[in-house]
Amino acid sequence: MAVAVPAAMLIAWELCARLAIVSPRYFPPPTIVAWTLVDRLIAGDLGGDLLITLTRLAFAFALAAVPAVPLGLLMGMARPVRDLVEPYIAFILPVPKIALLPFLLIILGVGEPAFVVTGASSAFFQIVISTLAGVQTMDPRLIEVGRNYGAHGARLFRKVILPAALPAIFTGLRLGLGLSLVTLVAVEFVAAKSGLGHLVYRHWQMLSTPEMYAAFALVGALGLGLTRGLRALQARVLSWQEEIEL
Amino acid sequence: MTARRRWLAEHWIAIASPIALLLVWEWASATGLLRAVFFPRPSTIAVHLRDLALDGILWDHLAITLTRIGWAFTLAAVLGVGIGLAMGLWRRLREGLDPVFAVIYPIPSVLFLPLVSFLVPPGEIALIVTTAVTSFFLIAFTTTHGVRQIDRRVVEAALHYGARGRRLFAAVLLPGALPFIFTGLRLGLGFSLIVVVAVEIVSASRGLGALLWMSWQILKVEDMYATFFVIALLGALLSYGLAALRARLLPWVPDIGDR
Repeated sequence: MAVAVPAAMLIAWELCARLAIVSPRYFPPPTIVAWTLVDRLIAGDLGGDLLITLTRLAFAFALAAVPAVPLGLLMGMARPVRDLVEPYIAFILPVPKIALLPFLLIILGVGEPAFVVTGASSAFFQIVISTLAGVQTMDPRLIEVGRNYGAHGARLFRKVILPAALPAIFTGLRLGLGLSLVTLVAVEFVAAKSGLGHLVYRHWQMLSTPEMYAAFALVGALGLGLTRGLRALQARVLSWQEEIEL
Repeated sequence: MTARRRWLAEHWIAIASPIALLLVWEWASATGLLRAVFFPRPSTIAVHLRDLALDGILWDHLAITLTRIGWAFTLAAVLGVGIGLAMGLWRRLREGLDPVFAVIYPIPSVLFLPLVSFLVPPGEIALIVTTAVTSFFLIAFTTTHGVRQIDRRVVEAALHYGARGRRLFAAVLLPGALPFIFTGLRLGLGFSLIVVVAVEIVSASRGLGALLWMSWQILKVEDMYATFFVIALLGALLSYGLAALRARLLPWVPDIGDR
């Protein structure tokens, strides 16, 4: 079934488009989309945009993760820090992060920094929240046992708190990476002049639908690959902890 | 009284810090330390917000955005819960649709706008359907999971007592899956706000997202901040309001979506 249903859907689409039951102008047959995808990848222009999106994603993710993990840990361990920061997190968290784009465009100017920071913002809040939850939900007995065995300060943190929070941190990083891809592609769609998101927009405007679907499929594959890959990595690296799935 | 005082003693930082920040901001942009072009004084933003509200402009845009969210959420909820329940009950359907959903789900919903605008009449309906896409998947996923996590023994016990068909569904399956369905609905509603703003930025001329984007394009920075504030308020209301509603309606279960 796992193969049959998707295959049947693709074949139905192919037939409908070939027999002009649906307009092939808007819904080109999947074989043509696949050929376009291969063709464009060989020609290099699709690969170029893919690379641009990936570069932006890497910068955005690093920009989010590097400050977010320490902040989340600090918030979890020091009550005053949490009280100080939490109102802002709670205020910004449910806001669509793409709404930050106009502000960043004004402050940073139209260009890469504004795109990347918008992408980073959506990962940042997710990672802070997950890290904080990881520290808050850890078994308090672990800390007591650590203390009884003489672990204090940096040792307690390194040997007890960090390992206990690690699965939650990893989950935060995984979710954050996915969110920042989503936001980045949306930003590219709206404001950038390159990248996969922009490619979908441009080919939509030009009505060159095979290219549009090819870029669309590439975004889907990228998202699927990233989430699946990170989940597999998490299962390997943190095999002793089971993750609480949403 | 003492309870309130203790609450204040514990939370004073959380209340004082935003107030302090606003005061510092006000002072910094009044003295020119922050460029008022980029960071207008909070009091100026408040005046602009009031003007937008009194003009009725804000309410028009807000009403349009809320209407879109309402339609999109209804569409996503009906289809998501329906298909999610079906996928939870029938293994074959689940196995067939899982790979399809897995590929489509991580695609940012704004990208569906071109595709949707080929399928349905472009304009309002395309906006609403695009907004519904991501919420639909979230709701379908959580509902499926909700049905699957029901204790087999409960279902078997119900079968032994003669519950079949509609009764089994209404008395066992639906209540068992309800906490998960509710979490899905809450997340879905939050996502429909996120997506509607993005879609309005891209392609609408009205709605809060469009107002924000237009304010940027004509560099009405104060209106931009005011609109952002309204969007943030709406987001807080939707997500925390719904969490409170769940606590009232389903007090016996923890919210699995709380991270």
